Amino acid sequence: METIPLIGISVWLVAKIFVLIALAIYIVFAAVIVKQVSLMIKTVEVGFEAPIKFVAWGHLLFALGIFVLAIIIL
Amino acid sequence: MPDIFVAEGKEEKEHPHSPFSSFCYFPSGVKFASKDSQEEIVLFLRRHWITNIPWIAISLILLFAPAVLGSFPILSFLPDNFQFIAVAIWYMVVTAYILESFLDWFFNVCIVTDERIFDVDFVNLIYREITDANLDQIQDVTVRMGGAIRTIFNYGDVIIQTAGEVPRIEFTAVPNPDKVAKILRELRVEEEVEKMEGRVR
Repeated sequence: METIPLIGISVWLVAKIFVLIALAIYIVFAAVIVKQVSLMIKTVEVGFEAPIKFVAWGHLLFALGIFVLAIIIL
Repeated sequence: MPDIFVAEGKEEKEHPHSPFSSFCYFPSGVKFASKDSQEEIVLFLRRHWITNIPWIAISLILLFAPAVLGSFPILSFLPDNFQFIAVAIWYMVVTAYILESFLDWFFNVCIVTDERIFDVDFVNLIYREITDANLDQIQDVTVRMGGAIRTIFNYGDVIIQTAGEVPRIEFTAVPNPDKVAKILRELRVEEEVEKMEGRVR
C-alpha cells in the first residue's frame, strides 16, 4: 500500500477523507434542493407536486446512501 | 367587449391542463402564492418544451458516458472500491443536473390573471425573483421572435414594459407569443372598461 513519506499515512486513507468531505458537501446541496422544491411548490402549484417532492427526497437519500457506502467500502 | 369575456361561468371557462403544458388558457387547478380569492388565472405560461432538448441531450450523453468510457482505462489507477464510488458519484451528479434543469423549466412560469401579471424566476438554488405588475400598469407589449427553430415551433419572447417599480417583465421562449400579446391587449381593454365603469377591485 502506498504511503505518504515522513508521516506514513496511506494515500488511500487521505483520498477516502477527501471523498467523504466532498460527499458531505453534496449532502448539504441535496438538502438545499429539497428545501428549494418545497419553496417552489409553495410559490406555484400546478398539480405535480408529489412526484417532484419524491424525486428530491430520493436524491437526498441516494446521496446519504453513497456517503454511508463510501464509509463502509473505502 | 373582448371575446374572451363572453358571459361564461368560471367552471365553463376553466380548462383541464397537463402539469407539463407550456401554454394554458384559463387553467384549472393552478394556484400561486399571493393570489386573491377573486382573482382568476387567465394564462399560465412556461418556456416551450423544445427548449428542454439541449439539457436532455447533455443528460443522455452524461448517463451513457461511464458505459462508453468503460472501454478506456481512465480510472484503472484507482482501486476497485474507489472506481465503484467514482461511478456512483458520477450518476449522483448527473441526477442533480437533470433535476435542477427540470426544476428550472418547470417552476419558471409566467402567470396572467384578470388583474395582474406574474413572472416567477428561480434563478438558482437559493435565489428566486417574483415580479408582478397590475394590468393597468402595462404600457407596451413587444413580441420578439427570430430564428428558424422559434419560427417552426412558434415560440418567442413577450416583453412587457410597465409603469411599475420593475419597468420590464419578460416572458421568455413562451409558445404562441402573438396570442399572448393579443390576450394581454384584450385584458388591458377590459381593465380600462372596468375602470371607467367603476368596477375596479
